[in-house]
Amino acid sequence: MKILVPVKRVCDPDNANKVKVSDDGSSVTSDGLEWKPNPFDEYAVEAGLRLNENAPKNEKLGETVVVSFGASDVVQTMRQTLAMGADRGILVQADDAELDSMVVARALKSLVDAEQPDLVLMGKQAVDGDSNAAGQMLAEMLGWPMATFAMNIATDDGGKTLTVGREVDTGVLTLKVTLPAVVTVDLRIVAPDAVSNGVTPADHKYNDGARYASLKGIMQAKKKKIDQKKLGDLGIDTGLTTTYPKFELPPARTGSCEFVETVDELVDKLHNEAKVL
Amino acid sequence: MIEWSEQHLAARDAFRRFIDAEIRPNIEDFEHNGVPPYDVLRKLIATFGIGEMQVASFRARLDKERAIAAGEAEPEADKGARGGSGAADAAAMQNLLVIELSRVCPGMVTAMGVSQGLCVGTLNSRGTLDQRAKYVPELLTMEKVGAWAITEPGSGSDAFGSMMSTCRRDGDGYVLNGSKTFITNGPYADTVIFICKLDDGDTPPDKRQVLSFILDRGMEGLTQSRPLRKMGQHSSPTGELFLEDVRVGPERLLGESEKLSYRSGARDTFSSERSGTSSIALGIVQECMELSIDYARNRVQFGQPIGQFQLIQQKLAKMEVARMNIQNMIFRQIELRKQGKGMSFAEASACKLYSAQACMEVALEAVQLFGGNGYMAEYRVEQLCRDAKVLQIYAGTDEIQTSQIARDLLAE
Ligand SMILES: Cc1cc2nc3c(=O)[nH]c(=O)nc-3n(C[C@H](O)[C@H](O)[C@H](O)COP(=O)(O)OP(=O)(O)OC[C@H]3O[C@@H](n4cnc5c(N)ncnc54)[C@H](O)[C@@H]3O)c2cc1C
Repeated sequence: MKILVPVKRVCDPDNANKVKVSDDGSSVTSDGLEWKPNPFDEYAVEAGLRLNENAPKNEKLGETVVVSFGASDVVQTMRQTLAMGADRGILVQADDAELDSMVVARALKSLVDAEQPDLVLMGKQAVDGDSNAAGQMLAEMLGWPMATFAMNIATDDGGKTLTVGREVDTGVLTLKVTLPAVVTVDLRIVAPDAVSNGVTPADHKYNDGARYASLKGIMQAKKKKIDQKKLGDLGIDTGLTTTYPKFELPPARTGSCEFVETVDELVDKLHNEAKVL
Repeated sequence: MIEWSEQHLAARDAFRRFIDAEIRPNIEDFEHNGVPPYDVLRKLIATFGIGEMQVASFRARLDKERAIAAGEAEPEADKGARGGSGAADAAAMQNLLVIELSRVCPGMVTAMGVSQGLCVGTLNSRGTLDQRAKYVPELLTMEKVGAWAITEPGSGSDAFGSMMSTCRRDGDGYVLNGSKTFITNGPYADTVIFICKLDDGDTPPDKRQVLSFILDRGMEGLTQSRPLRKMGQHSSPTGELFLEDVRVGPERLLGESEKLSYRSGARDTFSSERSGTSSIALGIVQECMELSIDYARNRVQFGQPIGQFQLIQQKLAKMEVARMNIQNMIFRQIELRKQGKGMSFAEASACKLYSAQACMEVALEAVQLFGGNGYMAEYRVEQLCRDAKVLQIYAGTDEIQTSQIARDLLAE
């Protein structure tokens, strides 16, 4: 099947303490930060690759296309997913300030109209803004069935439907969606047996987590095609519906360690000073 | 080459991710609890498709050589064309793997390097086509672990001169005797290259031909010791080998010819071994530096971060000089590879000498910069410092490198 996987570039969560806010509080400055694919999007790429391959034979069964938004250096992040095995990429050039969940969803809709994938597989949210919105908006615009927080996916009915286990507060909610569909994934989607496509034998054990790019994959990624388009050329409404009035850093932690004598004193401090009880 | 390419860095990041997930959390096991490094190295090689790629290119080369041996002409395009950007990229990624591993467990690089570098390298440069086809693929994937044994209790720097191990002719085969020590992978090796002198009853020891044999684990008369306790490199098992009347057929003689002396051509093996040392040194230096910078920023004494003291700044500056120099040596090696060339013996020795000394100096300075914490095993620099010392000893001691460089300069 043809699968479209949107991949957002986020600042490396391990660098998060280097995030700074501009002096006037209007934006977050990204100078000197290292970038990574949003982990949930990387899991979506992994799930897409698993759906589209016969793993033991190392055979491809379909096309996996990654889509990103941003400046032209986002290509570097996209190449990481191409090195994992995605077939080609589409980069929509745009300033971060021009994008919100709604604009991204509208842009994705126009790409879906052009590409006609069977499945849009997305991360449940990006770890920078934590909005958890683009997938739902896209499904609504397309009028497609949707399954969010997927922790397992299996193809059924000769590839016409997907059975998706959704991770919800009370447990796992299993549902069936008819393709084409939008599915957003949670972290357990990369468990060794989370994805089954009816071709890779059921006893094939994947490693836990998103796959590492092989050296061959890294070499080949350089030659894979990344189509570059401008946001303005997609012919969509580019009006923002979400804006951020102000950014500020959380208060610095007063990391002090104090020894207390009694349990009562501890409870008192936790209640009255730390205010966590 | 003046910097890593985007692709190289992508490979580096992937290695880093694997190492951070699979090795860093288990350092204690590999360094102190005697867990051998082979399973995780095998996994690493498989994960990145390194073994698969190397086996494919090994087989292609072997087929070509077989065709040439059968009388086919070598394609014009192949003559002398061993370089190219593909070869350079492969070398760069190999170096980056060594650098990244050396930041965490330099011993693992020693273990892997001896198996895939020395053992495979010797098989490839001296073995017959059949010997290579039989032994090399499984060593490349590390399904089998290789060792390379020249050093003996009485013979180290003067490896050939004082060598006591012997082979004697026996029917169409040989009987091997002797003992080897400080053998990397010795305790666990499946395949051992054993280097010894041909005792034909007449020739005096200093004139005897030096030959090498391929041995398998478990052969009658071959004993592999338990790992020796040592100062550092704990993730690399080092041991002794004892050979008591080990009988071998002629197919185990490397090259299957007594004419192929180990004395000639040993320089090539030593050269590649020596140039590999720079990458280990760079990994250790980079890790020490990163840790030191962080500590200098955050450790406060006399009311300010110790990085504000000029004597601490001097240490950091020296580390950066060493890092740049070693890195440039590696870039030069890669650039030479691109042109299908290698380093001269003297140049490889000079690189090894500098890298080993600079690395040791940096690691000691890192311990100093960390003060009492630097002496504690809880802080990483303690291990790196112990691990660095061996770079001045194995693959030819500093003294031997020095005299070989000078001998080369003075040669008429
Ligand atoms: C961790 C480790 C792993 C090893 N792995 C292997 C392996 O896999 N296979 C293998 O065969 N060997 C291996 N070795 C052995 C290593 O190559 C030797 O230890 C090394 O070559 C030095 O030999 P030696 O220990 O006998 O020292 P010696 O040769 O006895 O040297 C003692 C001292 O004398 C100095 N010296 C010697 N000759 C001269 C000279 N002409 N001029 C000036 N100074 C001189 C030396 O530099 C040194 O300082 C390993 C060693 C170690 C520590």
